[in-house]
Parts: sequence; structure tokens; C-alpha cells
Amino acid sequence: MELWILFGVFGGLLLIGTPVSFCLGIASLATVVYMGLPAMVVFQQINSGMNAFAMLTIPFFIYAGDLMMRGGIADRLIAFAATLVGHLRGGLGQVNVLASIFFGGISGSAVADASAIGGIMIPQMAKRGYDKDYAVNVTANAAIIALLVPPSHNMIIYSLAAGGNISIADLFTAGIVPALLLALALMITAYIVAVRRGYPAEPFPGGMAIARGFVVAVPGLLLIGIIFGGVRSGVFTATESSCIAVLYALLLTLVVYRQLDWNEFVDATLGAVRTTAMVLLVIGTAGAFGWLMAFLQVPAATIAFMRQLSDNPVVILLLINIVLLVLGTFMDMAPMIIICTPIFLPVVKAFGVDPIHFGVILILNAGIGLNTPPVGSVQFVACAIGKVTIAESMRTIWPFYGASVAVLLLITYVPAFSLWLPNLFR
Amino acid sequence: QTVTLRSTDIHPDGYPTIEAVKFMGSLIEQRTGGRIKINVFHSAQLGGEKDTIEQTRFGVIDMNRINMAPFNNLIAETNVPSLPFLFRSVAHMRKVMDGEIGDGILNAFSAHGLVGLAFYDSGARSFYNSKRPIATLADMKGMKIRVQQSDMFIDLVNALGANATPMPFGEVYTSLQTGVIDGAENNWPSFESTRHFEVAKFYSLTEHSMSPEVLVMSKRSFDRLSAGDRDIVRAAARESVAKMRELWEAREKSSEATVRGRGAQVNPVEKQAFIDAMRPIYEKYVKDAALKAMVAKIQAVTLA
Amino acid sequence: MRHTAAVLARVLAPISRLALWISGLGLLVMTVFVAWQIFGRYVLNSSPSWTEPAALLLMSWFILLGSAVGVRDGTHMGFEIGLHYAPPVLKIVLIQTTNLLIVFFGLFMAWYGYELTVETWAAKMPGINLPQGVDYMPLAGGGLLIALFSFEKLVRVIADPDAAIKAVEAPKVEI
Ligand code: NA
Ligand code: NA
Repeated sequence: MELWILFGVFGGLLLIGTPVSFCLGIASLATVVYMGLPAMVVFQQINSGMNAFAMLTIPFFIYAGDLMMRGGIADRLIAFAATLVGHLRGGLGQVNVLASIFFGGISGSAVADASAIGGIMIPQMAKRGYDKDYAVNVTANAAIIALLVPPSHNMIIYSLAAGGNISIADLFTAGIVPALLLALALMITAYIVAVRRGYPAEPFPGGMAIARGFVVAVPGLLLIGIIFGGVRSGVFTATESSCIAVLYALLLTLVVYRQLDWNEFVDATLGAVRTTAMVLLVIGTAGAFGWLMAFLQVPAATIAFMRQLSDNPVVILLLINIVLLVLGTFMDMAPMIIICTPIFLPVVKAFGVDPIHFGVILILNAGIGLNTPPVGSVQFVACAIGKVTIAESMRTIWPFYGASVAVLLLITYVPAFSLWLPNLFR
Repeated sequence: QTVTLRSTDIHPDGYPTIEAVKFMGSLIEQRTGGRIKINVFHSAQLGGEKDTIEQTRFGVIDMNRINMAPFNNLIAETNVPSLPFLFRSVAHMRKVMDGEIGDGILNAFSAHGLVGLAFYDSGARSFYNSKRPIATLADMKGMKIRVQQSDMFIDLVNALGANATPMPFGEVYTSLQTGVIDGAENNWPSFESTRHFEVAKFYSLTEHSMSPEVLVMSKRSFDRLSAGDRDIVRAAARESVAKMRELWEAREKSSEATVRGRGAQVNPVEKQAFIDAMRPIYEKYVKDAALKAMVAKIQAVTLA
Repeated sequence: MRHTAAVLARVLAPISRLALWISGLGLLVMTVFVAWQIFGRYVLNSSPSWTEPAALLLMSWFILLGSAVGVRDGTHMGFEIGLHYAPPVLKIVLIQTTNLLIVFFGLFMAWYGYELTVETWAAKMPGINLPQGVDYMPLAGGGLLIALFSFEKLVRVIADPDAAIKAVEAPKVEI
């Protein structure tokens, strides 16, 4: 009965349009009250869900991404990407994907990526005769790359949800190869769709232009190195590196480029606070929801159930992927990670799957969910920028879904894609 | 009607403290004809130490097997057995905690919504780190050491010339690996079960603390039981201590063997300088007359 | 009702503005704290133990104040397709159900935030000389604001149901 209340209230409120954070909080509160437990525990868990030291990275990475977007760093990264791949068929689509790798190295957020890259690329693509739905779909799918390129605060959330014993440096490293794979798959898809629709290629700008683009992009690219190198080598903690990212972004945009005036600085700061508040409130309420699931022993029941279904790891991983894809359609990234990690990680561990490997699977899976309605924040942002309805985007998004799911399966069944690189560092 | 008491622990399944509480549960189940059971939530499933202490006080969970240090900032009496180099040996500590001094400390929990049921000892805690063997006090200098979230442990490590970093248990492995901290301190079984030896191989036998751990029950849950059942619970908790010690000693040996076999480097320590450096800790945490008397009494206990 | 809504808006708009600015300032101060920690460790060779607990405390405040502002501005992310396609009367019923539930949830949060503060006041936070209860004060403050802002929305919808219907028909985007 407790579980029916927990999931029933959550699902019911979700359907009537209550914000997700409140669906999670109110469902937890209702369940605790029904069980006759002190309701205080719900708010204690909301508080401690938001309060782990590693959570400090979230406002910092979001803030740094916001500053970079407004302060001229995103444009420079895109310009550099354009010199590299603009001459391929569907050139601007290719640029869009490559820019997501670069920008993803700064922001850990797919939404930030979609608004930064999409804000610049979608109007440009429309002007050059690309269909808007194509521009929107390339942007939305490429944005998922940001989740896998280090740094990714979602990997930090995963590490915490897994009990804190998973190395953040290893998780960051593990995302790199899958990110490149996803980028490759999306570039191929963008190419094929571009050929079918007859989109142009840009002229090749020549080696000098590439070199010039690189020099201009160096300060932005350097930040990727500072963050990743800092965490990997242990010079900085993840929290500290995220703070350095903010300081560096402030220095670059306020002092070096001087592209950020007072009003934009205020907007960036208040915008980062708003975004962080919403993300972390969901994390907090998901923490309470997750605590109740542990209290009601859902993880143990899931393991028993899964074992009954099959004892073949290939089948179990496929089942988990399907469940995650379905959950991903109506759940956002952070609650997905917080709620699913304690349930599924023990299951896959029992089948010998490395927690780092599972982290990559979970994050890519939840990332695909960011592009699926009814709750698809990345898709919504891209659609809003491109002034395309979600239905229009859905009609032509399938090739890109296909590419993402293919990469997901590859990553699921070939652990080496995730584990080879971190193992080199060990 | 049957009652299932929920008990929590930060250690993984199979750890001696968890097996001891399960054993206690089986005693209670037998003696109440199955009316009362214990369900142990291991691996911090219901939260970290600070969270579960609060949950136990509010009566959300019924029992908690937990370290003494997280209580230090709440209950003054718990500082005493946590004092560095207070006990001369494990035998000395057991004699003290099993006697009236131990009972006095257990009673102190009742002012905070808790019922102290029993002490589970946890051997001696020593420092380990990723940089170098600690042989003399000078080797501690500048080292960043994780401590439990307790002011006394912060002051202890700072007094040794190192840099104390209070941090929740669950964040230590990653922090060692990424160099946020150079080391931490714990007993053999925890050093092994947390896999910290993989990332910090120098284990130096400072044996600076023999602070026992404690099994507490929520006062709200305890008061709901009939007087007869309360006696059964208390007695079973006491009896589980012997079981715990037996499991603990075996585990200590096997853990030590495991980590040595996996390349941990163990070295003895010049202890006197460490002991001498602890005077300010005693001055700061043993202020009032009652605590001073308790310390003097503990020091006077002899092993006959 | 229109009058009440206008009065509420006049009182709560500056409060919301202030909450957002305090939050923004909190983010900047947090940046300074963590920067100081890095400086302390590498330059002064001693890492201060207060920086992270203090930064976390600031973050709690700005999350809850920022969340309350998000309630007022209706920017919390939800699944609004059902709302979008519901007939107008049902739309109002659903919107008001949510608003009302959030009022109650905010009140619960404020009350239990207060209780948690009181109950944990006796313990001291390690590494920073403050009572543990301080940790829960943002829940009390933020919960109260969440309830207030959601109540304002409730009144606003009664005063002008057509605007509320239009708002959910327009596609909305946020993080
Ligand atoms: Na990233
Ligand atoms: Na989705």
C-alpha cells in the first residue's frame, strides 16, 4: 500500500502538471503521513539531498556555463568548429555537433549546451536554408554530448547516489570515448539526412583559418584542460575546479574579452541562481523519494525480481536500458539518477558490471530522455529557440534517436568503450 | 501483533557490527515468540551518520549502530571514551566500558531522545595515508587528514601538526584518490572494507584512539515496548556484545592479513611524542569536574 | 478578488526581487569562500575547515529562496502536456489543485523546518562554530515564501482565470 501511495501520488500529480520537484516532495510527504512516521524526515532528507559537499559543483558549473555563453566564449568555440568541419556535407549540422564537444567540456549541462549552441547555430542554419526541424534536432541531440564530456555534474550526482565510493576522476575519464562515439554517430546521421535533403557544404577555409580559429578558441579550450587536468591530477577537488571555472570565466569575459557588461553580469548571476535552485530542489525532493524507496526496501525487491526474470547479464542490461528509456520519457536527469542508482546499481553489480561503466550507461540513457516528451527539457529549449513545435520536431527526430540508441547499446555491451581510458590512468 | 525494528549501520553487509545486530535480532525473535524482529539496513542505505542519528532521535528508525564521534558535539560525555590515548589497551577499554563508567555514558543518551543499549568496541584507530610512513610526530606535519565530523577529532589531528579535514565517511575514498586529502584514520576492518588501502597504502600504528562504537535505540520506539519487552531488548543487546567481540577479533586478523597481502605498508610509531601533544585536547574537552573525575577513574582502572 | 490580487502582488513582488538578489549575492560569496579554501591550501598551506560548511549553508539559502521565486514565476519544470490539452474549466481546477497543494507543502516545509531547527539546535556543527539547527533554517524561511507565493498565484488565478488558461497554452521552456 505504501508503495502505491508513493508512486500513485507522484504519477497523478505529474499528470495534472504539478512541477516535478513538488510531485516528488508531496508524494513522499503523503506516504510518510500514511505510514504514521514523523513527517520531519521528509524535510530532513530534502535538506540532506541538496547538502552534500559535492553538490557545490552544480551552481558553479552552471554559473560558469552561463558566463561563457554570454561572454563570447561560446561564439569563439563555434567559430573554431566551423573551420574544422564546416566543409562537410550539411556543414552547419557538423559544426553544431563538434561545438557541443567543445562547449560540453565547460558546461556539464545539456540544457546549457542546447541554449548556448542552439542560440547561435539554429538562426544561422535557418538563414542558410536548413529546415528548422533539422537544426533543432541536431542541436538537441548533440547537446547530450555535454553530459559525457568532462566535467559533468551529473556524474558527480551519480557518484553520490552510488554511495560516494566511485571516483569522480574515473567517471569523468570514462565519459570521453562514449562522448566521441556519440558525436561520430550524430555527425554521420547529420550527414546522411543532409544528403537526402540536399543541404550545402561550406567552402574549406584553409589551414590558416583553422590555425586562427584555434588561437582564438584557446582560452575557452584551456578551461577544459584546467578542469579535467585539475580533477584528474588531484590538484583540485571537483568543487574547487568548478569554482576555478567560475573565476576563470569571470576573468575572461569581464577583463580579457570585456564582452560582459554589468547588466549581463547580473543576468548571468541571477539566471544561474534560478537554474541551480530548480535543479537542486528536484535533487532534494528526489532524495526524500529515494530515501523512502530504501526504507520500503524497493532495491532489494527489484534485485529479487530481476533475478527471477533472467540470470543472463545481457538480458538484464537490456531490460534495465528499456526501463530507463521509459522512465526517461517523463523524468528529468537528476531525479532519474538519484532514484535509479540505488535500485539498479546493486542489480548490475551482482552481474559483474563495473559501477563506472554503469554510470556512463545511466547518464547516456537519462540524456536521451532529455529529448523525449512529455518531460524533455533539452528538446523543449531547442524547440523554443527554433520556434518549432514539439510535434514538428518529433516527426523528424527518429534518425537521431536511432543513432543515440545505437551508441547506447554499443556502450552497454562493450564495456571497454567506457573503461579502457580510466584503466590507463589507474 | 509483530513489530519489526529497523536498525541502520554505515558498514557493508557481513561486517561484524551488522552480524552482531542480526544475532541480537534472532535472540529477541526467539524470546518474544516472533513478536519482535530486527531488520538491519546496511551500507548507509538510510543516510549518513548525522542523518540517521537525527532519524533515530525522531523515531523514524528504531535502532542505530554508530560511531561515538558523531555524538561528540551533542553529548559531552561521549567525548571521554573518544579521548586520544586514554585507554592503555583493548582489555582496559573493555573493562571500563563494561562497568559502571560505561553505564554512565550510556545513560547520558537519554537526555537526547535515545536509549544507549550497548558498546561495540572497534579496536584501535591508526593513521593511514598515501604519502609516507608516519614514524615520528614530525611526519604528520602538513598532512591533510580526513577526520570524523567531530570537533574533538579536528583538534586532535591539528594538535599533531597535520591539517584536519572533517568529511562524511562516504566521500573519503574519492578524496584520497584525487588527493583532496592525504590520509585518514581508522581500524583494520574499516581500512579494508572501505578499500582505502588501494589509495593510501601507508598504515602507521599510532593506535591513538580506542573509542568504542555504540548501539542506540530511539527513545520513542523503546517506550512503545512493554516493560517485559524492554528487558528482553536490553538483555539481547548486552549479549550481542560478546558475539560482536568474537566476530571482531576474527575480522581484525583477516583484515590485517588482507591489506598486508594487498601491499599495505605497516610501520610502528614513536608514540610518546604523540601522547605528549594531546595535552591541549584534554584541557579543552575535559573541563567540568564530572568529566575530570570520569577520566581520572578510567585512568585508575587496573587490569587484575 | 482583483483588488486582493493586486495588493498581494504589490507586497510580494519586492520580496521576490529581494530574495533573488540575496540568492545571487549568496552565489558570489560562495565563490569567494571556495576560492579562499584553494588559496589557503596552496598558498597559506593550511586548508580552512569552515569554507565548505559555510558555502553549503549559503547554498541551502539560495536554493530555497530561488525555488520560492521559481514558484512565483512559474518556472519549475513539469509535465504540462495534459494541462495543455485539458478543457478550460478542467485547466483551472488542475492549476488550482497544484497551487493549493504547493501552499500546503510550503507550510509543512516551514513548520518542519522550524521543528528540525529547534530539535537539532543543541548539537554543534563540526568545523564551524554554529548550532546544527542553523542548517534547517533555510527550509523554514524558504517554505514560508513558497507557501506565500503559491497562495498569491492561487488568488491571481481566481482574479483572472483567462490569463492562467492562456499561460498554460503557450509553450514554456526552462531547465
Ligand atoms: Na560536460
Ligand atoms: Na524525457
